[in-house]
Amino acid sequence: MSDLFSDVFLGALFFGAVTAAIPLLLAGLGEQMSEKAGVLNIGIEGMMIAGAYAGFLGAYYSESLWLGFATGAFGGIVVASIMVLLCVRFGLNQIVIGIGLTLGFEGLTALLHHFQFSRTYPRLPAADVTVVPYLSDIPILGPALFKHHLVVYLAVLLVFVLAFVYRRMQLGLNLQAAGDKPAALDVAGVDVVRTRAFAVFTTGALAGLGGAYLANIGAGIFVPFITNGAGFLGIVLAMLARGRPFWVLCGALLFGVCLSLTTALQVAGINIPTDVIQMIPFLAVMAMLIMFGRKSSLPAALGIPYERGAR
Amino acid sequence: MRKYITPTLSAILLSGWMLGSAVSAEVKSIAILTPEEGTDYGWNQQGVDAAKAAAKAAGIEVIVAQGLGYGDVRPTLRELAEEGASLMIAHASGYNTAAPEIANELNVPVAIVDTPSALKAGLIGDYTLSGHQGAYLAGRMAAKMSRTNTVGIVVSGEPPSWNSQSAGFAQGVKAENADTKVIYAVIGPAAYSDAAGGKRVTESVIAAGADIIFGQGNGSSFGMLQAVETTKAVDGGKVLFIDVIGDKSPIDKGFLLSSVVWNIEPVYTAMINDLKADTYGTKSYAIGLEDDSVMLLKTPQIPDNVWSDVQALRDDVISGKIPVEPVFDATAVRALMGDVKE
Repeated sequence: MSDLFSDVFLGALFFGAVTAAIPLLLAGLGEQMSEKAGVLNIGIEGMMIAGAYAGFLGAYYSESLWLGFATGAFGGIVVASIMVLLCVRFGLNQIVIGIGLTLGFEGLTALLHHFQFSRTYPRLPAADVTVVPYLSDIPILGPALFKHHLVVYLAVLLVFVLAFVYRRMQLGLNLQAAGDKPAALDVAGVDVVRTRAFAVFTTGALAGLGGAYLANIGAGIFVPFITNGAGFLGIVLAMLARGRPFWVLCGALLFGVCLSLTTALQVAGINIPTDVIQMIPFLAVMAMLIMFGRKSSLPAALGIPYERGAR
Repeated sequence: MRKYITPTLSAILLSGWMLGSAVSAEVKSIAILTPEEGTDYGWNQQGVDAAKAAAKAAGIEVIVAQGLGYGDVRPTLRELAEEGASLMIAHASGYNTAAPEIANELNVPVAIVDTPSALKAGLIGDYTLSGHQGAYLAGRMAAKMSRTNTVGIVVSGEPPSWNSQSAGFAQGVKAENADTKVIYAVIGPAAYSDAAGGKRVTESVIAAGADIIFGQGNGSSFGMLQAVETTKAVDGGKVLFIDVIGDKSPIDKGFLLSSVVWNIEPVYTAMINDLKADTYGTKSYAIGLEDDSVMLLKTPQIPDNVWSDVQALRDDVISGKIPVEPVFDATAVRALMGDVKE
């Protein structure tokens, strides 16, 4: 067994953990912003799959991963605009619309893929990586953590940017108020609908970017239903993180590491049923729920449409 | 007297013919339901193509409901039954709870996979197919060609059909070279469309030393293929991929070593014939090397001498000189892998 656990193998496991964590991180950060502003965004899976499709389309035809990320974010925003219109503007049920968006865009992207790529299944070339000097020389962890596409570092940087926005900026306060006491925000002269719409659009962009990362770097290809529930995991991470972006990062990395651990245990030939091994990531999430979920407090007006003057 | 005998005889013959027609079921159309599009060069495509071919040969209509996902297909089954389908083929292991329910509810025959115990005369048929004989040959070939003496099996789930192929492949590898390591990894529970997971796990298996990957995965197999195309083996050389069920040659970039190709048409044809003969649901269906319903794909990556050896082994398997029995249980499959500790 020991010869299997070479530096190369361990490096690949940790590299895989980071690759698996980034889409969850982006989706989780997006969902966190929506929830902060009072919008329960169940449609995030739909935004991710739309982003995955649009992102792959952009990268494939332009031969530029960056353009692919841009089109992916735009794809997520397009789905988010439906959510904004129906839930934020017209005040329809956020759960029903969210589920509808997820199912609708899973079907739509599968249909588009069928007409466009189902005979050719084009794949993207391996993504270029940005090497962080010195840190990438650390044995095992160095190549795994510091030899990634630039978008990975930007996603981690976003965690700190959002933490700053939530703690130090008026925008963060407005988002918080839109989710906790929207009437107070309204009285203060800030448009609640616009604040919530901004949050949902940003969620769409981040989820779309996460989907594009999943398709363009995680898989190098788009196939129908590729998100495989990543958006829903993003919702769980956002709820557990209690409004703190850094906790979303920790949760996403924990899930990624657990996924890699399942591979490591199987490669090592540990003779326990695969089903048990495959439960590890989900057991980790459940353990987090038990440990931290009890204390989690959601915004008071989460899921409740805002109507001026309504009691 | 004669004027009474002739009409009586005619009446007897006519009623005999009518009775016979009433007893043997009339098959007007068949329907097939698939979780993904029938263009995946794999499980879904082989199913759809086989249903079309079998229906055409029988001169009946075929209804294709594809890309249904892995959720609840009861509404689709009811709709197809209302459209008059004489047989509904539920072509996914995830459908084998819903389909028998609808069969019992609407009295329309269904075919399901991976559940031989569910047979019900006239109503529920099972086709738990196994390409284990072909997988065995693929294992022999992989062990002959591996430079690193390590091969990998990556699967996106553990349905019986795939278990038997994983086992067949591992048996083939060990029969060819007992020292060759077999690394076995499952992407996730029912991760059939998880292409990113397929790529991630395959990259890890390659990093652990495998230079030939035997992949079973529906949509996720494209992620495996991507990993093979973009990752070097530990010796710096090329990694090769062995696919199952379909033929991915049209989209190959020079990394496809072979595929255990299934032809399901004889199975569906047998189902139609059984429906007509009122023997449907009384027996299971099989595929194998003998009638070419299972065969190994020849690609330019296979040296001629290796191919010749494999063809000789194929003859031995068909003749029974080399017995290859299917192993459907996941625990038994894992026990066959090289580094498993009991």
